Amino acid sequence: MKKFLSSNRASLITLLALILLPFIVGLMDGESPMAVLANESGNAKFAQGLAIEIFILALYALSFDLIFGITGMLSFGHSMFFGVGAYLTGISLKTLGLSLPATLGLVFIAAIVQAILFGLVLPRVKGITFALVTLGMGSVFHIVVMSSELGPYTGADVGLQGVIAPAFISPANERIRFYFIALTILILVYLLYKRFVDSPTGRVCIAIRENEGRARMLGYNTFYFKLAALTLSSLTAALAGFMHTLYQPIVSPNVASMGFTVTALLIILIGGVGTLNGALVGAVVYRLLDFGLRRYIGESASFISGAVYVLFVLFIPFGIVGTWRAKSFQINQGWQRLRKLFG
Amino acid sequence: MNTFLRKNTVLLITLAVITALFIAAAQGMEKKDFVITLLRGLAVGSITFLVASGFSLIFGLLDVLNLAHGTLFMIGAYIGWTVFVRPDTFVDLLTPLALILSGFALADVYPFLATRIRLGLSMKRILPWALILVSVLIFSFILPRYPISIWDVENYGQSPVTYSFMADSGTRLPAPVAVFTEIAAPLALIGLVLASMIGAFGLSLFNSETQQQFKLTWKNFAAFAILLIVALLTFIFNESLTAVLTGLSSNWLFLIAVVVATLSGAGLGALIESTLIRPLYIRPIYQLMLTLGMSAIGIEIVRSVWGRPEFVMPKPAFFNGTGGVCPATNFADWWANNCSTILLLDGRVRVYNEIFIPIIGVIVLISIWMLLQRTRLGMVIRAGVQDREMVEALGINVRRVFTMVFGLGVGLAALGGILAAPSMGLSNAMGESLFLNALIALAIGGLTNYPGAALGSVLVGLIQQFIIKYGQIGIAIPFTDIIFKPTPPLVPASTVLLMVIILLILPNGLLGKKE
Repeated sequence: MKKFLSSNRASLITLLALILLPFIVGLMDGESPMAVLANESGNAKFAQGLAIEIFILALYALSFDLIFGITGMLSFGHSMFFGVGAYLTGISLKTLGLSLPATLGLVFIAAIVQAILFGLVLPRVKGITFALVTLGMGSVFHIVVMSSELGPYTGADVGLQGVIAPAFISPANERIRFYFIALTILILVYLLYKRFVDSPTGRVCIAIRENEGRARMLGYNTFYFKLAALTLSSLTAALAGFMHTLYQPIVSPNVASMGFTVTALLIILIGGVGTLNGALVGAVVYRLLDFGLRRYIGESASFISGAVYVLFVLFIPFGIVGTWRAKSFQINQGWQRLRKLFG
Repeated sequence: MNTFLRKNTVLLITLAVITALFIAAAQGMEKKDFVITLLRGLAVGSITFLVASGFSLIFGLLDVLNLAHGTLFMIGAYIGWTVFVRPDTFVDLLTPLALILSGFALADVYPFLATRIRLGLSMKRILPWALILVSVLIFSFILPRYPISIWDVENYGQSPVTYSFMADSGTRLPAPVAVFTEIAAPLALIGLVLASMIGAFGLSLFNSETQQQFKLTWKNFAAFAILLIVALLTFIFNESLTAVLTGLSSNWLFLIAVVVATLSGAGLGALIESTLIRPLYIRPIYQLMLTLGMSAIGIEIVRSVWGRPEFVMPKPAFFNGTGGVCPATNFADWWANNCSTILLLDGRVRVYNEIFIPIIGVIVLISIWMLLQRTRLGMVIRAGVQDREMVEALGINVRRVFTMVFGLGVGLAALGGILAAPSMGLSNAMGESLFLNALIALAIGGLTNYPGAALGSVLVGLIQQFIIKYGQIGIAIPFTDIIFKPTPPLVPASTVLLMVIILLILPNGLLGKKE
């Protein structure tokens, strides 16, 4: 028990901080914890909203890290996984009038189907060609979503509007419940991913990333392992899309565009490719950076964020988590020296 | 012959199917529609080819997926526009640019100096940063005060839109002439040279330890002196040079704009490769992030300098004649009157868009092909695409070739930008859509294959234009009375679908080699 506590100190502290976050923000603003629990509007509610967005982004980035960072397949159509989840949830709740569990089931079935669709091309193409084929499939999906023929269902280029989430997790009135549900889902998915990567299947996925030919030489049929990673990733991304639709009042077609795949790529590059917790760190940094820059700088925010990415690449070479792991010895040493200097 | 057939069965069948589709498409429309659509397709294909070929050269040799290529295409267009519509701005910019570059021309001298300075370890670490900081401080003091006559994005009467419009109608707005007011001219000039030398010295100190061999030749000092002289001359003869450029006919000005845009694209490419991309060859994935970041920066720079609204670039007078005798009925007639349109097989064809651009595309295709096949540099490039490490092992300075190829690729994209500007117009988003086209074209043709880039680009251009045309006239589906009209979103979808199908049949593209 003690060993478990000491070896997971950082994660547990983070978890505790995340659980307490709404109340701390509330207290700093002069709100009592009871008021925060009752979802009174204020900074605490706003912080929860931002945190929920970060959780959804982190879930999405995790799913991208699984196929890109762990299995080594660069897919440029990843936003399609998210978009299918988001749009299907909206259509099913709004047009078909299904209940929430039925919607979730539908989303999962669709996620598996599209993973198999992506899987169809797997044996034929790999590397950069796989990236281009998935880019093609993703853009076709984007175009279909944007087309005016499907306007009544998807809202064409305006986006899907007016999806009403069920009352018990409505982001407006029951945000703190939504917050904890999103946090729980993120933690469960993260633990599942960690377990997956440490399992024999995950080890083979890493072997595929390192050298696919050798993995095949060892007798593994790499196709099934890639398909498994793709399916898990597709399920997670669709789940993220599902939560996105429940949380946001509008699903913009941008979530199906190439730009949203690039968002996932940036997040895991910031955090560190193939590290899993890098995706979580990256999502926090990405969303807060985006939010802060848009708030305090305004229109030219993407100039600064572009410059930040370039500086990141040059000075934090393997992402935050990756560089931390590679240089943890030096960082520790520097910390000791600093402590000696002051005491 | 037999083995050739057997080896390329799939490719030949695919090509035959595409040709059959093309012929079927041609049957469905009138002759004049067909000619116009064909020429438009070739024009789009040529512009796509200029972007795609540069991208594929860079990807083939350096293994860098330059996602900023579309942005650089756009920057080329905007630079060309500046030279064409506002020559005074261009002349004003020459002096500070030459001065800033002058310090870097002495790059080989600094390591020599660095060995003469004996410093402690901690000083050695701080010194480069301190020097760069000083240089940035001087630059940030002088550059905002340096007078450059420029348009005003905020003020509509002085905005790029208005200047373009006036240039098109033949009159030129009296542009405000910038003069030194906040800073003395000699101080600014000397300060720029000093700052650039200090900054270049600081940068060279970073890799002073890896530098083993350096030779001081007169070439370094000659480059420095030439840059200084250029700066001084353009500074002294600023006004007369502006007057000469403004007085030139728009044909010559357009030619200058094309040359300047291409050269500055090439220079920008070489600069990006040698400073930003070079440290990243060991971390290929992060190049993606870097080029994405550069792309975002580039778009923002364009937005802040040239503004967000779209504007058109006037065509040179050579292609812009209108009036009684136009449209011209044959080429001799066109040559005499410089009509903007020409009648070709009963179809009215715009000369610049649909004849000039494809011709330039073919010229570039052939000249780069000659460069690749007939010169030593081309030989090194081709060998590098096949096996980079082997070329390195043979003792060829691959780094220099890398910089040159990156410059060449970006230069081609910038050339495409300035050529496309008069027909496409300038907008902040012009790079992205074209870049997607180029990517699709490359995937169809074969990623690192030069003829493949041309074939793919032409296919993409033709398919898009034919679908657009059929969107107007409709396709009669056989055995029914239904007339199917493809909607505009189908245009990008069609090329993407073609790409996916071709990649599934031939994973390396039409002409790509099997691995």
